[in-house]
Amino acid sequence: MRYGILLLGAPYSNQAAHSALRFARTIIARGHQLDSVFFYHEGVHNAARLAAPPQDEPHLVDGWAELQREHGVKLDVCIAAALRRGLMDEEQAGRHGKEGHSVERPFELTGLGQLVDLGLRCDRLVTFAP
Amino acid sequence: MHLHTLNQSPAQSQVYRQALAAMADDDCLLLIEEAVQGALPHLIGPFEGLAGRLYVLEEDLVARGLLERCDDNARVVDVEGFVSLTEQADKVLSWY
Repeated sequence: MRYGILLLGAPYSNQAAHSALRFARTIIARGHQLDSVFFYHEGVHNAARLAAPPQDEPHLVDGWAELQREHGVKLDVCIAAALRRGLMDEEQAGRHGKEGHSVERPFELTGLGQLVDLGLRCDRLVTFAP
Repeated sequence: MHLHTLNQSPAQSQVYRQALAAMADDDCLLLIEEAVQGALPHLIGPFEGLAGRLYVLEEDLVARGLLERCDDNARVVDVEGFVSLTEQADKVLSWY
């Protein structure tokens, strides 16, 4: 079965991101395909390149990146939600005259159209929220 | 059948009322995160009409030390069981 995940919760603020990552790993372990995780609202903070949690805590950003690396899961970040929270890749940083960037591959800034498409494309879309 | 998930404790949020109002007769409800408190005997009241269709996530019960305190009317499932419920359901609706 094809799955998609919509994540609306920021990392380390509530349980949403932990729940979503645990669910994502279990979907794959059961042989399903996870097409994409769409990060929206506060969930865009999961794409923060500079996140440096204590070493004895789960590293959520690395956890998402690992899903992409090992299972080809797309990591789509809503560009409008990201930009207004200071999350941008190198291209957007250049466009907005900012020094440095806070989002990098495998996370990709995309539009809401990707979320609509994910909902249409997948057999199941599961939302995790604060 | 639709699967509804709820992540807020019925002791702290009224959103469970919307979830219950939206549920059809054959829909299932899975309590996750803080909502696992809803499986405790003194908080399960609003969910009593869901006999056989009320589930609660084991990992979130364990994280809160509540596994042994669950009411018998809530069916404990682990995260694999959560995925299995999403396989059986046509759609998954999240209440938060």
